[in-house]
Amino acid sequence: SKLPYNPPPRIYHATLKRVLRKASSFQSISFGRFQSSKRIRLQISCAAKPETVQKVSDIVKEQLALSADTALTAESKFSALGADSLDTVEIVMALEEKFDISVEETEAQNITTIQEAADLIEDLVQKKPTAQAS
Amino acid sequence: MVDKGPVISLCRSLLRAGHQYPDYNIREYAKRRTLEGFRMNKNLTDHSKVEEAYAEGKKQLEVVERVVKVYLAYPPRTKNIMELKLQ
Repeated sequence: SKLPYNPPPRIYHATLKRVLRKASSFQSISFGRFQSSKRIRLQISCAAKPETVQKVSDIVKEQLALSADTALTAESKFSALGADSLDTVEIVMALEEKFDISVEETEAQNITTIQEAADLIEDLVQKKPTAQAS
Repeated sequence: MVDKGPVISLCRSLLRAGHQYPDYNIREYAKRRTLEGFRMNKNLTDHSKVEEAYAEGKKQLEVVERVVKVYLAYPPRTKNIMELKLQ
């Protein structure tokens, strides 16, 4: 049995066992199992990193011309900060440019707070490398 | 009567199309002009005027998409100085 890669001899036996086990249990892996692991993955990546929230806040402050010391929380709504729908479109375009992502029309309409924007950005940035690899 | 949704979509499409220009000057102009244009007509209440503005926006979108193709055929060889980061 030839492995597609050359593992170091030390762990050869362990990886061989794992590969064989996986191959033999292939029939028993149901789509239900696969879906549940996917669900768990989504839950872990729910909250956005603080740096992302900070970057989004900086862009929002710049676009809406707010003073540097206005306190922006993650839950601040764009409309509460004085942004109308056109300002929101501009903010989303600036975020697309900054993070090099592409936001869908339907997704963009649902962004109302800084936290939502940061979550969406993280989600898209995570999906990006896999799309480029394939 | 055109609703808010399609108007915002049109604005987004125009901004995205304008973003594709390789030339700094026209790219910035497209962004500036679309935002100015939409902001100027933000408070229109007359239905016919709204339809007129929306139709003009759609026409401009066609123009931008056509011209982008021409610009992409002859991309600039050097970066514009305004695009360079301050050092």
